Amino acid sequence: MERISCSSSRSGSCSENKPGIIEDTFEFGDGILMTGNLLQEATVPGSSFTALLGLPATQAMELLQEPQSTKAQPIPAPELWRDSRNEQETLGYSLNCSPTFPTNAALVERAAKFSIYAGAQESTDANSLPSNSSENSLKLKNEPADSESNPSSCLVFSDPATPSENQKSTKRKEREKKVKVSAKRSKNVEHGSSKTGEDKDGEKLPYVHVRARRGQATDSHSLAERARREKINARMKLLQELVPGCSKISGTALVLDEIINHVQCLQRQVEFLSMRLAAVNPRIDFSLDSLFAAEIGCLTSSSFPSAVTIEPLMWQQQQNQQQPMWEVDMLQRPAAWERGGSNSFLAHDNSLFSYNSANSVSLSSNQLKMEL
Amino acid sequence: MASPSSFKQELLKKWVLGLQSCCSMAKDMGISERKKAIKLSADLAMASARDGRTCWSRAVIANASKQNESKILVQKILGSECERLVKASSIGFSSCNKRFTSKRILRRSCSSLRRIRRSAPKRVQASSIAKRMVKKRTQLLKGLVPGGESMDEFSLIEETLDYIISLRAQIDVMRCLADASERLKSQ
Repeated sequence: MERISCSSSRSGSCSENKPGIIEDTFEFGDGILMTGNLLQEATVPGSSFTALLGLPATQAMELLQEPQSTKAQPIPAPELWRDSRNEQETLGYSLNCSPTFPTNAALVERAAKFSIYAGAQESTDANSLPSNSSENSLKLKNEPADSESNPSSCLVFSDPATPSENQKSTKRKEREKKVKVSAKRSKNVEHGSSKTGEDKDGEKLPYVHVRARRGQATDSHSLAERARREKINARMKLLQELVPGCSKISGTALVLDEIINHVQCLQRQVEFLSMRLAAVNPRIDFSLDSLFAAEIGCLTSSSFPSAVTIEPLMWQQQQNQQQPMWEVDMLQRPAAWERGGSNSFLAHDNSLFSYNSANSVSLSSNQLKMEL
Repeated sequence: MASPSSFKQELLKKWVLGLQSCCSMAKDMGISERKKAIKLSADLAMASARDGRTCWSRAVIANASKQNESKILVQKILGSECERLVKASSIGFSSCNKRFTSKRILRRSCSSLRRIRRSAPKRVQASSIAKRMVKKRTQLLKGLVPGGESMDEFSLIEETLDYIISLRAQIDVMRCLADASERLKSQ
């Protein structure tokens, strides 16, 4: 643990140097080195896995879960976006590290075999797998020379021989050696322009932690340039996931094309809808109570929560009252609505309304397009 | 922002506020004027729901407050925070603009000099073509996203992300309202 405190003090002293630059993705590499340190200190075989788990497990699990969640829910991205920066960092991790995961399927298999043979606990299997694979993937990135030793060590363990402590410890020793070697090599390659930092969850590191990879230039300009490029690439990947149909496209220019198309399409939709609204009403009077009372089904079928439908009732009563009252009531009422027992009826209505609304929307938009 | 649905709710509230004030302001309007008023109030509601945290929302508010006819609407929709937001947006806007116009002038003068010197070598590299394409598209995107002119690449991408999400929410809200009012009218 002393190593961790040393590195944290170093990073603390150097934090003033580059205030504006944050390198999210390379904190993961720091985490790996930290786990390497932990490994060196751990002596009990079983505890090393838990030491591994101690740091990157939560991050690794987040990593694995984040890509699926970002793909499945484009709309809730604002909350991911605007919540703590920690989530942004993990998004950055996942998006930068996920490409490496599939390439190590073979390694994952071997790691799985190993963990099964070693008789590791069930609960740690799932956790150790991603941490193993992620660790291995990063190390493979850094040391292609060691890749031959890696399969050989894994092959040893996939033998159907009796699992023994020796195998576990030898694999760990190899990993420790690799970690030490990687630490040495990376230190040799760098020229003091990057430092390992303490890997705290939920804390934003104000200092750039860029590690120069083997065979790449290490002067500060190119490092900063590379950091900037990595940042931009991470954001571009997020954009790609947000815009439908963009994740398959490779190449910045084409992706930007799609994004521009999408933004233009959305803006055009806004124009259409405002034209529709202007056409519907001779004056811009939206008498909310009659409006919403009639169309509860439509609104609940959309992605609004039922709280929105409660608004009109509140509106009549509380036109002059302050906003906090609304929110309090809105929170309380949805429960009442759900308990109302008319759920099935509403759901039935919802399906009808949504179907109708979808039809009418498409029809009207087509008509508008033809006219325009 | 706590959740997308709360964003939409806030948007709806502010939008309806703005629409009511529009209605009270002018009784007879042609359809295009009405459409403009509706769109403007929707945009302002979207921008104010963002609470001035993003560059594009500040740009929208700044643009709207500069035009005379929309000032009242801005005040209505923004409510109490109106002055603070308008000040913040206009200040940030003007400083950004000054900085970037001066940079642009410098860049243009330098690039014109470079063009004169480099007219001789006619090799066309793939990377330069790609760079030019990307540059063209970023310029387009800057024109699309409000307030995008005064942004570097990284913040442009962030703003685009936020803008796309807010646009989607706005479209959802507007569609709901349009459907509801249409169905009400047909009844």
